[in-house]
Amino acid sequence: MNAISPHTSAPRTASAGAAVSLDRLGSVVAVLIGVALFVAPFVTYRANRIVAGEARMVLDALPMTLAIGVMAAALGVALVSVTIRQPIIRLVAAALGLAVIFVAVGRAPAFLTPPGNTFARISPAFGFWLLTLAFALLVADSITRLRLGPFARLGAFAVAAAALALLLVSGAWDGLSLLKEYATRADSFWREARQHVFLALGSLAAAALVGLPLGMVCYRVPRVKAAILQILNIIQTIPSIALFGLLMVPLSILSAKVPLAASLGIHGIGAAPAFVALFLYSLLPVVANTVVGLEQVPASVIDAARGMGLSTRQRLWQVELPLAFPIILTGIRIVLVQNLGLATVAALIGGGGFGTFVFQGIGQTAIDLVLLGAIPTVALSFMAAVILDAAIDLAKGPVRD
Amino acid sequence: MRPSISQRVRSVIEIQSLTKRFGDTVVVDDISLTVDEGTISVFVGTSGAGKSTLLRMINRLIEPTSGRVLIDGQDTMAIPEDDLRHRIGYVIQGYGLFPHRTVSENIATVPRLLGWDKKRIAARVEELLDLFQLDSGEFARKYPHELSGGQQQRVGVARALAAKPALLLMDEPFGALDPVIRHKAQDDLLAIQRRLGTTIMLVTHDMDEAFHLGDKIAVMDQARLLQYATPAELLTRPAEEFVEKLVGTAERPFRLLALGKVREAVEPGAATGKPVSASATLREALSQLLWMGREKLPVVDADGTPLGRISIGGILAHGRQPA
Ligand SMILES: Nc1ncnc2c1ncn2[C@@H]1O[C@H](COP(=O)(O)OP(=O)(O)O)[C@@H](O)[C@H]1O
Ligand SMILES: [Mg+2]
Repeated sequence: MNAISPHTSAPRTASAGAAVSLDRLGSVVAVLIGVALFVAPFVTYRANRIVAGEARMVLDALPMTLAIGVMAAALGVALVSVTIRQPIIRLVAAALGLAVIFVAVGRAPAFLTPPGNTFARISPAFGFWLLTLAFALLVADSITRLRLGPFARLGAFAVAAAALALLLVSGAWDGLSLLKEYATRADSFWREARQHVFLALGSLAAAALVGLPLGMVCYRVPRVKAAILQILNIIQTIPSIALFGLLMVPLSILSAKVPLAASLGIHGIGAAPAFVALFLYSLLPVVANTVVGLEQVPASVIDAARGMGLSTRQRLWQVELPLAFPIILTGIRIVLVQNLGLATVAALIGGGGFGTFVFQGIGQTAIDLVLLGAIPTVALSFMAAVILDAAIDLAKGPVRD
Repeated sequence: MRPSISQRVRSVIEIQSLTKRFGDTVVVDDISLTVDEGTISVFVGTSGAGKSTLLRMINRLIEPTSGRVLIDGQDTMAIPEDDLRHRIGYVIQGYGLFPHRTVSENIATVPRLLGWDKKRIAARVEELLDLFQLDSGEFARKYPHELSGGQQQRVGVARALAAKPALLLMDEPFGALDPVIRHKAQDDLLAIQRRLGTTIMLVTHDMDEAFHLGDKIAVMDQARLLQYATPAELLTRPAEEFVEKLVGTAERPFRLLALGKVREAVEPGAATGKPVSASATLREALSQLLWMGREKLPVVDADGTPLGRISIGGILAHGRQPA
């Protein structure tokens, strides 16, 4: 908590105003928890992986003591969220709530599955997700209100990630439908994971490599800037499927005409068009933010730098780029989060990635398979956002405010 | 006051027929003048007169259309641009401090470009912080946004002086300060300039500032140099009606008095009342006489030795148009 930013001593009026909205959030959280516990099912029981499921409420889904424990914990969080305002207490309560339901849901399969049945599938249901949402809202709000500095936020995130990893590795969730789905395709899961990250990060790296110099050129030459930004804007408006289609033609030709391209794995369908499409989508945020970042460097700073005899190159590296860096990094953040999501679509043209599971799952109406692709995608995007937000804060450094 | 032949000052800056055109507009029109070493020349005129352009042609931030600038006899065109700028201090209205660098890093900019070793840079930064009355323990590691306007201004000038330039260019360096701090900042600059002997070319549109700081004042209007002379000459022998107007007809006698010292108007004899210092300006003395309702007051020098007296009549004679 020592990394709390210097804004903790906010004026009284501001915190009083915030307290009102805090109560509002607290009541919303309490209502969500109530609905989750008493109206919505905690888990779904299915005889096999594709039939429709039967809903089970908390009391029917878990051994009696555990069920009561979950109810008590959730109601406790609800109580805290409406009565207590200190963010640190709300944070601890919500985190404990999450821990309880996350552990508890892992116990449902053993409790619900008839002995010897290997086809039955148990998965978290609406009530569980609603509880997760309610607790997560409280966590997010508390963390915002604590105004944690970048290192504290990264620390909190690392703790949460470690806890999740522990749950996964310990086997506590192995009975859940999603992990059964994973168990049957662990190899392809990690292959697609690598492919997903390669598509998202690789296209980002390529976009940064091309976009940063392009942005610098745009900054120096206004006529180039107008043209380039216009082209990139148009590309940005092309829907991803259409862009894949557009890229198939030239890449097929390239593959057919140039043996080297084919031997490098460049084809009209597959990873190549997906990679190129993601690269093209990434260019606009990178170039635009580079230009904006450089352009917001105060004219007086540049004049002074020139007047003191910094060469064009020294000015760029010592003054302009450092001052533009936080904004450039914001562009990178946008691209990374966008690419991690968009890479899912690559599967449609055989590009691989987590989208493979999503689209296979949709085809088979196997919701677990869809989630096997969707949940890691969301988790990756979230991780990228947290890490880059912290990096942006650090980059702003002394110029913050 | 006037230097004898043997100690005649070396002319540092010679501006010869300097002209700048942007397209068809002439922004600086065939200006020639010489700035003596160790003096302050103030360039004054209305906005758009071409003052900044003239100044920026000295360090070649703007390339002249024609004409040349000599520094110690050397044509600036013969010196690589960046080398030239390392040798000339430059201060602008917003100072342009680097927001991502601390006060000491800002001040160290040019010494670092020149490759000074770390110890020498640290010592120089320390020396400048001291000179500008910025406690190094408190300010060295601060960032510009943590400083007041007056402190930023001092850091801006300290940075410009870091590599001991023989010439300092200042473009409205006090323009962003409020009037109270501005006057103090001007006094500080004057004191530092007298101590270091730096040659200064300063642009302003503030006539009071010009008279306060200038050893010589250059009046510019519509790209032309109308007059380049000492403040007293400007008041007593304005070259054109425009100069006369700019100087302020009503202000003229008071400006003249502000240029003179009590020492120059001391009369023999005694007087009673609170003594006036010989180093005060005639304007200050007159103000004191009027305020106290006196005809005469005694004059003393710095250590209190009586020198004589000063009278309203004697002072007024100095504020009169020369015959
Ligand atoms: N790069 C430029 N292109 C065209 N006109 C310019 C340029 N820079 C300055 N000017 C014009 O030159 C004139 C003098 O400008 P400047 O030297 O900044 O005046 P001052 O500093 O006396 O206010 C102004 O009319 C201004 O519009
Ligand atoms: Mg100007």
